[in-house]
Amino acid sequence: MRQEYAWRSIALTTLLAFLSVAVLVQMIRIQYSPEAEVFRAQAEQYSGKFQTFYPERGEIYDRNGHLLAGNEAVYTVGVNVHEMKDAHTIALTLVAYLGLNYEEVMRRLQDPGGLSFVTLANYVEAEDASTLMKLQEQMTADALAVNQHSALDGLEFQPHLQRSYPENALASNILGFVNREGKGYFGVEEKYNDLLAGNPVQVWVPEDPNRAAEIPRIPNGTTLILTINRDLQAAAEEALDNAIYEYGAHNGAVIILDPRTGEMLAMATTPRMDLNQFWNYPYVYDQSYLYNPAISMQYEPGSVFKILTMAAGLDLGVIAPNTLFNDTGSIEVGGAIIQNWDRQPWGAQDMIGCLQHSLNVCHAWISTKMGEENFYRYMNNFGIGHPTGIDLAGESPGRLKQPGDLEYFPVELGTNAFGQGVAVTPIQMLTAATPLANQGRLVIPHVLYAMVRDGRQFNIAPIHGGNPISVPTARTISEMLAISLENEASMALVPGYRVAGKTGTAQIPVDGYYDPYSVNASFIGWGPIDDPRFLIYVWLERPTTSQWANDTAAPLFSEIAQKTVILLGIPPDAIRLQLVNQ
Amino acid sequence: MIQTAHLRHAYRQAPWRIQRQWAGLFLLFLLVLAMVSALYLDVTANAAIAGREIQQLRFDITATQRTNADMETRLAELLSTRNMEVRARALGFRPSEAGEIHYLFVPGYFLAEGVRLENIAPPPAAAPSLPAKYTMSLLDWFAAWLDTPALELAGGDILP
Repeated sequence: MRQEYAWRSIALTTLLAFLSVAVLVQMIRIQYSPEAEVFRAQAEQYSGKFQTFYPERGEIYDRNGHLLAGNEAVYTVGVNVHEMKDAHTIALTLVAYLGLNYEEVMRRLQDPGGLSFVTLANYVEAEDASTLMKLQEQMTADALAVNQHSALDGLEFQPHLQRSYPENALASNILGFVNREGKGYFGVEEKYNDLLAGNPVQVWVPEDPNRAAEIPRIPNGTTLILTINRDLQAAAEEALDNAIYEYGAHNGAVIILDPRTGEMLAMATTPRMDLNQFWNYPYVYDQSYLYNPAISMQYEPGSVFKILTMAAGLDLGVIAPNTLFNDTGSIEVGGAIIQNWDRQPWGAQDMIGCLQHSLNVCHAWISTKMGEENFYRYMNNFGIGHPTGIDLAGESPGRLKQPGDLEYFPVELGTNAFGQGVAVTPIQMLTAATPLANQGRLVIPHVLYAMVRDGRQFNIAPIHGGNPISVPTARTISEMLAISLENEASMALVPGYRVAGKTGTAQIPVDGYYDPYSVNASFIGWGPIDDPRFLIYVWLERPTTSQWANDTAAPLFSEIAQKTVILLGIPPDAIRLQLVNQ
Repeated sequence: MIQTAHLRHAYRQAPWRIQRQWAGLFLLFLLVLAMVSALYLDVTANAAIAGREIQQLRFDITATQRTNADMETRLAELLSTRNMEVRARALGFRPSEAGEIHYLFVPGYFLAEGVRLENIAPPPAAAPSLPAKYTMSLLDWFAAWLDTPALELAGGDILP
């Protein structure tokens, strides 16, 4: 009997063991079967999803930490079709609160085209979205109280960031703007788009909570600090707007630069645009170069160019401040006769007189004494005809015809000397003057002061572009220009401060001839001349109240210089020298 | 005496006693297995909860960063040049003229040039790099253990 039980027991044990082994073998076989790969792939599909992470666009600050471009929260409003209970109520609500079209909303909700989430409105302001969210919460609470579904079930709000400019139109020509797709246009936004936007990253996001740590943290775009002084920018824009109105000018530009470093302190132009409404761009600007004429507008500079001719002549040694020139009222260069602006002879003049009276003949004489090779070598060294390399998108190179060019005529050696036959941009003219205000050293203008990334700030070092003239030449030309302004009691003078500068009144060529009634009025100046802290270029297009820059651009320069010394904290010369002596 | 020894030996060799020992060992094995399983389940469950919390915290961080950026921009709007000028004028202030400014010499004071924003964007905290043994499942660990060369397990070096 006991033996019989033993056999049964052994048989049962054997059977169970066999079954166990069979199950184990089958498990291993399934693991390594061809179908297993398919199942694994299917499981992998549901184990997570690919997501593209867009980093927060970097902010833009002025040099004192004022936010110029930031990000604000906006909402995408849509409907989760699977949770939607009442399309009619949702449509009516969105019509009432967001001004959407009822038929359009209903059409998209009733035919979602296979989508589980239907987007109905994007870039909805936070206030509007908040109002809707409160309404939805209230309706949900009311529905729950009576054990029913809310009519707004399925309505969802997805927050995200969009570019915002707290100062609206301030410095719009410098900043540029960002469109809905996050692409920067013009100015800093375009020039540094890659840095600001950061790097979007597409990653696999696992649903498995044990792998949560694998989700990468996407660093934000780089924050930029500009060299711009917000208050000075606002003051320059206000002064420019007033001047354009007062002098009946079409457009204008004001650039303020630190000649020691090339840091752009302010760059005001007209017209400007509210960057928060960038879609108005085509209505504000006819041409793209009008967005920032300070770097894009090419024109004949006129007499402000004479400071370069005089500096080159002094540096080459063909003239000295006390060199006398007998002005007969005309000079022949390249077979053509060049005359003064008043077509009158001015007699014996030293070089300060030539600058003070802005004598074309005298400057044409200087350039001919220098000779073509020397004159154009100096102009090239000043950067005329080349982009300055400023870190703003859309800079024009200007144009300087030189011997050997197809369109060059020998007379241009004379006309170029007083700013005719040469095309520059305001920033180019300003950059060319930096050696005169900075001990002979040319600096490359820039608007980027520093970058902040991963909590570390990287300051940008000034870039120098050579020494077109010597230190003594720079001091001499500054002194000559200061004396010439003081001699004529120029309206450009700044009470309490010695400044150097020069006016420029250039007729505008129309259909190959100079229009006597249309001029570009400009003034370039710097100060205090013993230690220049600011270099200002003022340009007014077609002022109508007066044709002379001394009546329009010069007083505008003076006004802006007075605001500059206050905002930059530069004491008057007497006090400054007294403080230095202490 | 001899008989007593035989009885004791027979008692020890009794089939039912050997079966009970085997059953006891089997139950002990089951008990250990159950304990290990319970421990593994507990650890896995806690890890999953922690993972969910990490996910939620990341969502919270994103939302907070978005809120910060939004509030910073709104604050900048309130402090914009135009708004500040309007508020200043409403309070009776006006722009100062050149002749109204008094300059004082303060020994040792230098006007700071430019702003430093390093504190505004603190460096992201380094992601904790847990050893794999803290994140892998028991089966993963077992598979890794099988793949590990015996030498590494032994912890020895290859000797010449």
